[in-house]
Amino acid sequence: MSTRFAHDDDGVVVIIGSGAGGGTLAHALARKGIKSVVLEAGKRHALEDIENDEWAMFEKLSWLDERITAGPRQLTETFPNLPAWIVKGVGGSTIHWAGVALRFQPHEFRLHSEVGDIAGANLLDWPISYEELEPYYVKAERHMGVTGESTGMPLHDWNNNFKVLAEGARRVGYEKLRAGPMAINTRPYDERPPCLHAGFCMQGCRFGAKWSTMYTDIPRAEATGHCEVRPHAMALTIEHDSDGRATAVVYADGDGNLQRQRARAVCVAGNSIESPRLLLNSHSSLFPEGLANSSGQVGRNYMTHATACVFAEMPKPVNMHRGTTFAGIISDEARLDRSRGFVGGYTLEVMSLGIPFFAKFMDPANGGWGRDYAAILEKYDHLSGVWICGEDLPVERNGITLHDSRKDRYGLPVPIVYKGDHPNDERLRRHGQQQAARCYEAVGAVRVFDVPDFPTSHNVGTNRMSARPADGVVNQWGQTHDIDNLFVSDGSQFTSSGAENPTLTIVALALRQADHIAERMSRGEL
Amino acid sequence: MTDASRAMLSRRRFLTLTGALTAGSLALGATGLWPRWALAEPELANRLLRLGRDIYPHEAIEDRYYLEPLTPLLEEQRDMIAAGLDDLDRRARAAHGHAYAGIDSGAEREALLREIQDGDFFQAVRNTLVVGLYNDSELWEPHFGYQGSSWEQGGYLNRGFDDLVIDWL
Repeated sequence: MSTRFAHDDDGVVVIIGSGAGGGTLAHALARKGIKSVVLEAGKRHALEDIENDEWAMFEKLSWLDERITAGPRQLTETFPNLPAWIVKGVGGSTIHWAGVALRFQPHEFRLHSEVGDIAGANLLDWPISYEELEPYYVKAERHMGVTGESTGMPLHDWNNNFKVLAEGARRVGYEKLRAGPMAINTRPYDERPPCLHAGFCMQGCRFGAKWSTMYTDIPRAEATGHCEVRPHAMALTIEHDSDGRATAVVYADGDGNLQRQRARAVCVAGNSIESPRLLLNSHSSLFPEGLANSSGQVGRNYMTHATACVFAEMPKPVNMHRGTTFAGIISDEARLDRSRGFVGGYTLEVMSLGIPFFAKFMDPANGGWGRDYAAILEKYDHLSGVWICGEDLPVERNGITLHDSRKDRYGLPVPIVYKGDHPNDERLRRHGQQQAARCYEAVGAVRVFDVPDFPTSHNVGTNRMSARPADGVVNQWGQTHDIDNLFVSDGSQFTSSGAENPTLTIVALALRQADHIAERMSRGEL
Repeated sequence: MTDASRAMLSRRRFLTLTGALTAGSLALGATGLWPRWALAEPELANRLLRLGRDIYPHEAIEDRYYLEPLTPLLEEQRDMIAAGLDDLDRRARAAHGHAYAGIDSGAEREALLREIQDGDFFQAVRNTLVVGLYNDSELWEPHFGYQGSSWEQGGYLNRGFDDLVIDWL
């Protein structure tokens, strides 16, 4: 049993969430001797709980509390209560993530400067440069065990699914084809075994070959004696004193009882829906629009990546289900090149689904059935798939708001998750679909077809970083502009989405934030 | 879990894609027989079977794999299902002079279903089957070439994760 801290211990940092942001931060602070209490809404899972079963793990892991999908997009119709596909559990969405560990490109931190104003977009440069973050990218890669230069682990061997896509990509002239970088071991690393190419990365890695805070940062933080993780602890509000400093977090424990944990500082890392929701729900007479919301930007600029999937039926069996789920990356289109008709870039990431998910997600709309539909499913083992991960422009209206009357089991307003496309997103997506189709046609596809967005796993931007307090919620350290000892530690800090999967950047920012917090504490400022 | 949260979970299951999970997780009997409700009401079962086989047509898959996952739906919403089937037969008679199952052409049956595909009845059957049929592990390898759980066998590291030879170009 790990250390326990008293509810009235005001010397602890309270961290809300235990995923890529919160779990990493708790561990990094613990190694510096800084005490923390991690409030995690979900339960603890053991490696033995992880099954190679798509629906079973969906039920075990997913955040299924009521949410309302809104906005002019298909998800509003097809998944009215499941806008996001993220995890509720100790380890957060690092259990579910696929392991793709790409760095942002330098220009992506200053997209606004690069492209100027774009009508309808709320573009802003990050208050941090690639060069400033680079040392933390290296640390994050070593910390997580990312294949490639930082660890010396070789990239993965190409699985069948990537072989198909890469051959087509090569034939259309693409050159940046890599089976990585992935935070999935190719050799024993960090006391974890190498990948056995079992598939099911997104159902949780049964072997622990993929990095997850569930079995790295969290138990290691606890082992230091400086960190207590409380599962089944749903944060409800953050309290503050008359000077506007955060003092405590009120949460519901597993029995539904309200508890109050005093805090020296509070770090919010509940993913881009729950984090702004918590700040909005913590409104007070001093902060009537919610905590840290003097800019009015809390909950806004919600980005999910501009995405789509393209699948192709090949002349012979591919068996895409064998091997890592996201097995290879094409980066040729990740560059900034306005001649394509849009700003921002995208990566093409080969992906697989099992037949249970594929049957559901190939077309979840009402018309997803019939002779043609079943005919594709009969060719399941001949399929190869690719996912488009594209820059999604920040739009102020896209975001998280609180429902007027619908309440959850804790009496908190249910979040409404509104998202529509910027025209740039549509152009980028169409380009990506066309290029993916070209790749598959070049490798002899029998047929190529689009598959719509899934409930989103990449949720960023709703408490964004900004240089000026008027433009965003937090500064370059993730510290809120308004409240000295309140931090945001997850992907909701992102000022823009980039064309890369967010987890590596979340971890790099969390490691950097830990250094910053420790430094300020040592100076007596926190 | 509190009663309130259980009730919420249950409602959500109905409302979202998890709606059919209960059906999908039911183990099939090894007998190859129809489920009890279908044996008791073969006429209803046959009509529903024709519908199910038109929604996800796989000729080689036996009837029971369609009927078994529909069991909870029949238990919970029998009236809705019966009324939906009656409505479908009315539409079929009006258009073709036969009950739905009596229309020979699969394309004509599909066209009729497209007219009702946005309705609750059709989507209840479809949402149940899309999980109940395709999440049945007995069907995976023989019908779809999907091999299911692999960790017990050491994944695919030595079982063909990279065995593809692109020899068709």
